[in-house]
Amino acid sequence: MKWHRVRAVMLRHTYEVRRNLNKVFDSVVFPVLSMLMWGFFTLYLARDHRIQTSIAGLLLGAAILWGVFYSFQRDVAVGFLDELWSRNLVNIFSTPLSVSEYITGLIIVNLIRAMVGMLAVSLIAWLCYSFNIFPSLLGLVPYLLNLVLFGIALGIVITGLIFRYTTRIQGLAWSFASLLMPVSCVFYPMSSLPRWLHPIAWALPTTHAFEGMRQGLSGSGFSTLHFEWGLGLNAIYFAFAFFFFRWIFEAARARGLLVKIE
Amino acid sequence: MRTPTIEAPEPRSNNTHAAAKLIEVAHLTKLFKNFKAVDDVSFFVRRGEMVGLLGPNGAGKTTIIHMMLGLISSSGGEIRIFGKPFDANREEILQDLNFTSPYMAFPPRLTVKENLNVFAGLYGVRNGEAKISELMEKFAIEALRDKPISRLSSGETTRVGLCKAFMNDPKVLLLDEPTAYLDPQVARHVRGTLVDMQQRLATTILYTSHNMAEVEAMCGRIIFLSHGRVIATGSPIEVTQTVLKEERSEPALEEVFLHVATREHS
Repeated sequence: MKWHRVRAVMLRHTYEVRRNLNKVFDSVVFPVLSMLMWGFFTLYLARDHRIQTSIAGLLLGAAILWGVFYSFQRDVAVGFLDELWSRNLVNIFSTPLSVSEYITGLIIVNLIRAMVGMLAVSLIAWLCYSFNIFPSLLGLVPYLLNLVLFGIALGIVITGLIFRYTTRIQGLAWSFASLLMPVSCVFYPMSSLPRWLHPIAWALPTTHAFEGMRQGLSGSGFSTLHFEWGLGLNAIYFAFAFFFFRWIFEAARARGLLVKIE
Repeated sequence: MRTPTIEAPEPRSNNTHAAAKLIEVAHLTKLFKNFKAVDDVSFFVRRGEMVGLLGPNGAGKTTIIHMMLGLISSSGGEIRIFGKPFDANREEILQDLNFTSPYMAFPPRLTVKENLNVFAGLYGVRNGEAKISELMEKFAIEALRDKPISRLSSGETTRVGLCKAFMNDPKVLLLDEPTAYLDPQVARHVRGTLVDMQQRLATTILYTSHNMAEVEAMCGRIIFLSHGRVIATGSPIEVTQTVLKEERSEPALEEVFLHVATREHS
């Protein structure tokens, strides 16, 4: 892997962020609006229904972490769609750039974007609703890491599917994470789910990240169990995403889709 | 039928017989399901040659070029560039090879300069700023430096593509109809620039075009395709005589083209 090529991919997507107002809205404006909505909702619950402040904090913490996961996974896939929409794939893949260099550049840029978005919503939660996530942030980093790794794996799989089925299925870039949300136990513990859904929830790194986050924010300490389960599952999903993408990329080359895809 | 005259500097293929073969394509085949887009194609291009890859639409020219770039995998045969098999040496080969086609696009929101910056980075060009300025001057697009690609005409975008194609001082250049969207004056300037750069840098060029007069003026050797197969190779006059099966004193590639295209349609 050559760093100058990874940097060139980062440059390409940084220019896109600078020139495309939609990207600023996706990264900062919509997450902030979402946080404001969740903030008012938790204020209402705390004031009129006497819900404990700690529960309100858990909801806001979950909203922040889910925002990071959702936007990161979406932006990796949409970054690839940017190449399709601008018919730039032939240009970039006729250079020495490898697929892994391309994906690495895409991931770094979008990780930075996700972190900027997270910083913005965390500040809003702190300034407007007195929920300060920053002191707990260090303890949440391992769960954030698992969310980011799962976001990468999903982003790679969705990119692979777009390679194969072209822009007909581009909606997955925005909706795939939402499909997982009900069983990811973002705002409620796994015990709230019907029993038959438990195995599915347990198989998702997102569930372990949010279970662990709840444990951490409620003062019960770091959950090694949920962190390790999340990490192990991510290793499996990562390996699957890697082989799936390689297989589908080669199939796309064989079918000539790389030069026709739009 | 006499093809119109196009002014271009002297083609430089006469002294290349002893030069090394930089491109070697052997028994190349590409099947899309049951359709044979490229059928057992073999040819070579020597260092410093400018060779025309011609044929009617659907003859397989662009598919061959895409296989030479690794964008499409072959169903059979071998491509060797710089004496090395492409598949095993993709990264190394593409570092010294470049390509342009007026049919490909650039990210529309990015400016000309930003787009070229990205390619300077992808090729690891040292002093990219100076290289970009030099190429913009060469292809007369300095005034467009800060314009987004979406605001350029097709001809201007084609010239951005040419700047990209020379970004890494390629040893091998694949040009797919490089003057298709250019007006005659700009096309003449571009042809002159291409030949000048080819002569100064000894670039090996594989050139496709539907402008037969241009190919006659630019290319010392022709590979003529029909239905994915090579039907004639040689100098423009040799290809003319082979395909038309008659003695000619001057090349007539347009006539050859029409002859082959008509035969294909019938």
